[in-house]
Amino acid sequence: MSLLSTDAGRSGSSGPARRLAAWLHRHPSARLSALLSAPVLWLGVAYLGSLAVLFLSAFWTVNSFTGEVVRQPTLDNFRTIVTDAVYRTVTLRSIGVAVAVTLVDAAIALPMAFFMAKVAAPRWRRLLVVAILTPLWASYLVKAYAWRVMLANGGPVDWLLGGDGNGPGYGLTATILVLSYLWLPYMILPIYAGLERLPDSLLDASADLGARAGRTFRSVVLPIVVPAVVAGSIFTFSLSLGDYIAVQIVGGKTQLIGNLVYANIGAANNLPFSAALATIPVLIMVVYLVAVRRSGALEEL
Amino acid sequence: MRRARIITGLATAGLLALSACSSGSSGGGANPADGKPPKIDKLASLGAGEGQVNIVSWAGYVENGTNDPKVNWVTDFEKQTGCKVNSKVAGTSDEMVTLMKSGEYDLVSASGDASLRMIYGGVVAPVNTDLVPNYSDVRDFLKMKSWNSVDNVSYGIPHGWGANLLAYRTDKVSPAPTSWSVVFDNAAANAKHITAYDSPIYIADAAMYLMAHKPELGIKNPYALDDKQFNAAVDLLKAQNKNVGEYWSDYTKAVQALKSGNTVAGTAWQVIVNLAEADQAPVAAVLPSEGATGWSDTWMVAAKAKHPNCAYKWMDWIISPQTNAQAAEWFGEAPANPKACEFTSDKGHCDKYHAADAAYASKIWYWTTPTTRCLDGRTNVTCKDYAAWTQAWTGIKG
Amino acid sequence: METPAIRLTGLRKSFGGVEAVAGVDLEIADGEFFSMLGPSGSGKTTVLRLIAGFELPTSGVVELAGADVTRRAPFERDVNTVFQDYALFPHMDVIDNVEYGLKIRKVGRRERRERAEAALAAVRLEGYSHRRPGQLSGGQRQRVALARALVNRPKVLLLDEPLGALDLKLREEMQLELKQIQRQVGITFVFVTHDQQEALTMSDRIAVFNAGRIEQVGTPAEVYDQPGSAFVAGFVGTANVLRDKVARAVLGEDGCFAIRPEKIALGGPAGSGPAGFGPAELGEAAPDDVTATGRVVEAVYAGATTRFVVRLDAGSPDSTAQLVALQQNLRTSSVDVQSYRDTPVTLRWRREHAIRLPD
Repeated sequence: MSLLSTDAGRSGSSGPARRLAAWLHRHPSARLSALLSAPVLWLGVAYLGSLAVLFLSAFWTVNSFTGEVVRQPTLDNFRTIVTDAVYRTVTLRSIGVAVAVTLVDAAIALPMAFFMAKVAAPRWRRLLVVAILTPLWASYLVKAYAWRVMLANGGPVDWLLGGDGNGPGYGLTATILVLSYLWLPYMILPIYAGLERLPDSLLDASADLGARAGRTFRSVVLPIVVPAVVAGSIFTFSLSLGDYIAVQIVGGKTQLIGNLVYANIGAANNLPFSAALATIPVLIMVVYLVAVRRSGALEEL
Repeated sequence: MRRARIITGLATAGLLALSACSSGSSGGGANPADGKPPKIDKLASLGAGEGQVNIVSWAGYVENGTNDPKVNWVTDFEKQTGCKVNSKVAGTSDEMVTLMKSGEYDLVSASGDASLRMIYGGVVAPVNTDLVPNYSDVRDFLKMKSWNSVDNVSYGIPHGWGANLLAYRTDKVSPAPTSWSVVFDNAAANAKHITAYDSPIYIADAAMYLMAHKPELGIKNPYALDDKQFNAAVDLLKAQNKNVGEYWSDYTKAVQALKSGNTVAGTAWQVIVNLAEADQAPVAAVLPSEGATGWSDTWMVAAKAKHPNCAYKWMDWIISPQTNAQAAEWFGEAPANPKACEFTSDKGHCDKYHAADAAYASKIWYWTTPTTRCLDGRTNVTCKDYAAWTQAWTGIKG
Repeated sequence: METPAIRLTGLRKSFGGVEAVAGVDLEIADGEFFSMLGPSGSGKTTVLRLIAGFELPTSGVVELAGADVTRRAPFERDVNTVFQDYALFPHMDVIDNVEYGLKIRKVGRRERRERAEAALAAVRLEGYSHRRPGQLSGGQRQRVALARALVNRPKVLLLDEPLGALDLKLREEMQLELKQIQRQVGITFVFVTHDQQEALTMSDRIAVFNAGRIEQVGTPAEVYDQPGSAFVAGFVGTANVLRDKVARAVLGEDGCFAIRPEKIALGGPAGSGPAGFGPAELGEAAPDDVTATGRVVEAVYAGATTRFVVRLDAGSPDSTAQLVALQQNLRTSSVDVQSYRDTPVTLRWRREHAIRLPD
């Protein structure tokens, strides 16, 4: 930027704006950095900056009585997390829920997206996409509470399954169910986009070469949409990993990492410990994204 | 702490920034280990109002008619005193503490588990009760308690109180329970349908139960637990966890669970039971033989209040008989001022909430912040502080 | 008579009220190289897809080797298809693409590999086994698609404009190659194209499609020399159509006639025209020849030939009948071409080359 302005200043007498424009024209990289510096700065400060502060504060502690943050670096928070069995249990449970939600969503989204992209008439496609998006317009809380009512003892889910107490009730199963419902659109849309790019002729070719529908799906559709599924899974996985509200509403006594983070900010006023806990999902996501990078799914985002 | 509404979670990001920025400003807090709150002078005399007052309160304590046009005790206050009320609702005790530390507010309606922290943190000042005429009417059993006074110095004006009751479904639990054993030792009979309050402070409920059933532990105050006592309470709660259907911190969730039968027995507030009963659910509540934990809320003035005169005027106003009646009835608790009982629209309100029942009130162990200095006066041991309670609570839920 | 490889009877197919195929009856013999020629939207590709089973007909019957397969799924039909966009599976390498059909038919691993490699050798793609389709050129992809279909040894191979995406040179090579391969394997090829040159070059027989119907079926020479309709005459090659007053004036007959440009000899009056453009070029007139006079409107040099557009004197001045004549450039050069404009010319053709068309 400084290079840019000095050059503009030197041009002086004959139309500095014009000279600057000409200079920018000859230096595409300067043009690009002028264009991107604001958003990059924003991203850097707001996003990476807050992550850095989060990570930094994980090394602080809190005066347990007055609630003052004590800014002396210590590993106490991480020591607690590593040594206390409950955090391991909760972390594994959270990963389990995130994986389960991702699998359930993938299982539902694949046939749905396939129907939308390949079977439905083109004029219905747009309507179906809107239909998939509609739930996203409703408040998260309303949807979660609606599920609480549906899963209640003697509620619609119990009734469908033939009597009081036959449904899953509130708990881990309900959490997976509701999170799967909440994040389903995030799985369907990338898969739909991926399938839309899959030429119909590939399906014809597979059938032509003797494959039935199931075989075609397994051998042709699935391998081609895997990157899209992985892209969708980034959403479902990370959103599930960070969720604490749905769990609180339908999870019964289940607690996930998000609940611990929330409890330590809200109930315990222990921001540093929350920060330390919050690094767990961040780490898991980093590992996940590195693994995913190899599949080429990041290009599908 | 109660009314821990989910919404507040959505504001966590903001809170995060707030607490990170504010921590440096109020560094003059006392060292809790020396057991003395910082010396702050109380207001000597009442002057003219400053034109406005900034209040942090529980939902339902500062109503100006926006939630329900009939529920409004702010407009008249503003007319009479010329103090414009700016109110901020906090969802939890901890949010209150955080907001008060920001120095932006004059007044707070603190529960017992927040009050001491603010007193020792130097966030609030002692209150000159002589400047609050209605204070003399307040029930004696609410005055100069451990959660609103230190060393005989009053730090606030009592607002109202309630007990964490044992609620149960009359159709599922018979005979009618008289002991908390239905959620502890005998919880297996209603496995997966027991509920408990989702907060570390709930450890006190287990301690109170042990106080009656395991006298050999020597628990004198459920908020003052040494290692052995604390571990016993935690073990009891871990055993209870196997039978718990869900923990609640949002009272609407508790109402719904009782109505549907997902919850058969467990801790609840009177207002929860009332709401469930209003929908014809077969629900009843009892104060069990062991007693109960509860809350008692106190209006406290910020140490650095910019509008102390208006704050005092509000404290007098909110415990005046009419206003105290309105507020207690709107939230569902016992008013601090017995004269309020004449002004409730439901004449049975005070009876329903046992407002005058000293015996009932004496069975209640009001929420208090546990500290390393044992609240029961023991000096030969250190007690588990709230941070330890919080860590343990995570472990209990597993 | 031998059972035809393919028999279509009364075949119709509508898409949402639009009739893409409006009644097609066709028999294709075993071992034939059969082309379906027509402009886009004429229904030829739909007929191909009906044979393959990708679409189900609205009515009509599809028989393969005498068996009614109308309602059978693609994987139940003994045909294979080479798609216009090749439809290679992008996530498999070349050998896996070629083996795909064999794998589904549970052919053993070793035999599978041998047959796939043989098929790749047949299309001259040895050594490309482990490339991905994305790493191949258009022509190579086309040959993989061919190998993938042929390796299954189908009774019928369906080719949907397989050369459409290739450049001219490659296309001409592939045309010859396809023809050779067909002769080697000896199976029925059904070849869809909109390129009349391609169809004429490669086919044993051609069906010319127009608006969902077959206009004419015949050998390339039949279709070219005896077009059954004005559409066929116009679509297959170029044709001069003489009708009404002009036909009467020139041919002395009523009706509608088509004459191919290369059948018309062209010559100038002695001494009046440019070099190489005299009465000698007209040759000896046979007794039954037709002669007409006119004036050159346009002359376009095209390498091997020159195209002359001639306005006929017959029927003038109110008629603007024009004929196109194609002349071998035996002596003509591109430099001369401009000077031909506006010269008076004589046109001559054999009477049987003016083909009477149905009105």
